[in-house]
Amino acid sequence: MENNVVEMRDIVKIFPPDNVALKRVSLSIKKGEIHSIIGENGAGKSTLMKVLYGLEKANQGEIFLGGVHKQISTPKEAVDCGIGMVHQEFMLVGVYTVLENIVLGDEPCNALGMLKLDAARDKLKNILEQFHFDFPLDEQVQNLSVAAQQKIEIVKLLYRNVDILILDEPTAVLAPQEADELFKLLEQLKQAGKTILFISHKLDEVLRISDTITVMRRGERVWTKPNQGLDKIALSNAMVGRDVMLTVEKPETVPGDTVLEFDGVSVKSPLVPGKLDNDRVSFSVRAGEILGVAGVEGNGQYEMVQALIGALPICAGNIRLMGRDISKDAIRERRRQISYISQDRKRSGSSQTDTLTDNVTMTHHYVSGRLKGKLGLLSVRKMRKLCDEIIENYQVKCKNSSTRMMELSGGNQQKVIIGREIELGCRLLVADQPVRGLDVGSIEYIHKKIVEERNKGVAVLLVSADLDELFSLSDRIVVFHNGRLVAQRRPDETTREEIGEFMLGARSELND
Amino acid sequence: MSWNLILTILSSAFSASIPVLLAGMGGLFTHHANVFNISLEGMLLVSAFTAVAGTMSTGSWVMGLVYGMLGSVFVSLLFAFFVLKIQMGEFITGIAINTLATGGTTYFMRQMFNVKGTLTSPDIVSIPKWDIPILRDIPVLSDILNGQPWLFYFAFLVVIPLVYIVLYKTRFGLRLRATGFEAKAADAVGIKSHSYRLIAILICGVLCGLGGSYLSIGYMRMFSENMSSGRGWIAIAIILLTKGQPLKIMMLALVFGFCEGLGMSLQGYEIPVQFTYMLPYVATIIALFLDSRKKKSVGNKKA
Repeated sequence: MENNVVEMRDIVKIFPPDNVALKRVSLSIKKGEIHSIIGENGAGKSTLMKVLYGLEKANQGEIFLGGVHKQISTPKEAVDCGIGMVHQEFMLVGVYTVLENIVLGDEPCNALGMLKLDAARDKLKNILEQFHFDFPLDEQVQNLSVAAQQKIEIVKLLYRNVDILILDEPTAVLAPQEADELFKLLEQLKQAGKTILFISHKLDEVLRISDTITVMRRGERVWTKPNQGLDKIALSNAMVGRDVMLTVEKPETVPGDTVLEFDGVSVKSPLVPGKLDNDRVSFSVRAGEILGVAGVEGNGQYEMVQALIGALPICAGNIRLMGRDISKDAIRERRRQISYISQDRKRSGSSQTDTLTDNVTMTHHYVSGRLKGKLGLLSVRKMRKLCDEIIENYQVKCKNSSTRMMELSGGNQQKVIIGREIELGCRLLVADQPVRGLDVGSIEYIHKKIVEERNKGVAVLLVSADLDELFSLSDRIVVFHNGRLVAQRRPDETTREEIGEFMLGARSELND
Repeated sequence: MSWNLILTILSSAFSASIPVLLAGMGGLFTHHANVFNISLEGMLLVSAFTAVAGTMSTGSWVMGLVYGMLGSVFVSLLFAFFVLKIQMGEFITGIAINTLATGGTTYFMRQMFNVKGTLTSPDIVSIPKWDIPILRDIPVLSDILNGQPWLFYFAFLVVIPLVYIVLYKTRFGLRLRATGFEAKAADAVGIKSHSYRLIAILICGVLCGLGGSYLSIGYMRMFSENMSSGRGWIAIAIILLTKGQPLKIMMLALVFGFCEGLGMSLQGYEIPVQFTYMLPYVATIIALFLDSRKKKSVGNKKA
């Protein structure tokens, strides 16, 4: 009991009207351990941590810190109690310097409220030296890499003398090497006596770094065990309550004719004059093949997809779809032939405030005649029918077709979008981060669907930051770095480490 | 153009810039708090009226100034109530307030003083003018800068430096700008962005109150219907152009003041009054146009 820095007892959280997110969850955290909390999306792990951090108010239950009963109702109080959280989405002010971001909210000042940034600088020096951080304190945060920003978030907490750090899926945004660096840092923090709560989907890394693992499912704690003799199968079974197929079954196919061809395509950066976001990119995707696109975010994959869809103009080269140059076509024209799952499910992939029926109708309304009614208007009956079919065939969990998109969980929203796009029946499927932020069950299902499409002879372009996903789905992998295609490999001829080196620019196979 | 005329233009340029300058200084707080506050115009107009009403009923310019500020702060509270408390759109609220200010001041002027159009009276006490010892002996500068209402010197020597320091050198400024740039990030470290927005709106009210009072009991000694005549809008345009940087706001406010001074001085010549009145506004439109051209050439296009 004295060893437990955090003790949460019988926490109940109900989101109105009747969504019970946490059902009497109890959890004990020992001092100085790395404690991972894993579970599917909606399992309640983030909610539990938000209760601890004061972002959500529990309906019932108690929290003890070091044996003392505490009421934590705001993040500020949590930080004062020594608990800090690094969110998935960074809470940084882009135009502020690193130093300003770190001190914000806890600034050293004189009596008149004038800032004394140099005092903060001195205090930070110790922290930076102790954990070997090296970032320029006077650089604007928006100029730094995602990995550096994440470290700033951690330093922000250390600056506030936080002892218990909660990290919400910290590796989701990192390249493998960057993740390794983060793990080293976590180890150092642990040596320094900090306690770390690590929320993750990725079983490999959880097994690698944790001292203790807690599995959650549907708002309940399944078990908490020391990390000894556990493996991925055990974890995933506990998470979903059934065996998950972790490697997708993928029959050998012989790719058919070329469907999509990028030939020396360049895209000018809309923000930085003179910079090319895509620089002479060439590749092709054939029918019945999945081409995986790897790369650290911001290296041109996104722009490549936007150029393909027609949302960004290209300034050199051409894009051919089934032999025809489509570089000059309007988005609407291209979309007749391209099924497209955008990376931003909430903004460009769907309309959150509209019903499922309306969402499903989009694109279909002009691409196919199947929704036509009388007088050239859309037939509401046919729209509903299409929606019901997608709900049925793609296992969407929802009330009915009139439910609004935003009421669905992320996984179910994505199923609706994927259903809509696959039903278009195009020969090319572009999937930009199709499973980002989804739970294991949905991921598995969506992966199965993508492979099914490939087996039917559809050419698939899959962009992902997750190497596991790329390795298990792709027939070929290409790697983006700095707007260029730096390598091409078959997954069975390479390793994650090799692809990781390409992603970070440590190696390159450019020949110009 | 005679030398004297140039001096007159410059002198009135500095003086004419004050209301825009003060409104701009107030508006930059709301700008940095990411509150789209278009009610500067209404704040100026209301305070111009309450300042005149204040001096007439008390016979003191001090009370005029106090009434002026109270009038504008009242408007800013109204704005804050609708925008922050009821969460009505900033734009709608701003338009409503500006319309209300035009109608309200006209109505009360007619009701209380029984005049139409313009209210002038010997009872209006204007802000005292300062004759500054050393300045008065410097030839050209004396003509341009000496003998202005003390609020004039206060605006340049106290308000601008103070705004600059508060914005960039204090904890308050750091937090205020953080709430504007990234409210979530500010909230995450325990800064109550809501309160900062409220404070920004109130500061804006106080400074616009000074600006409006200057208009009716400093720069002029009267109140006329809709006498702010777009100065609040000009201030907004200037704030947007300069992204809320105090020193640049000062520069552009001076340019506006110069055009207004020029326009007034040109009235003696054979140019229609309507055109000379247009001058400062035309200058603002040109400035906005040039700025947008600059942005485009940088390629700041969103796909």
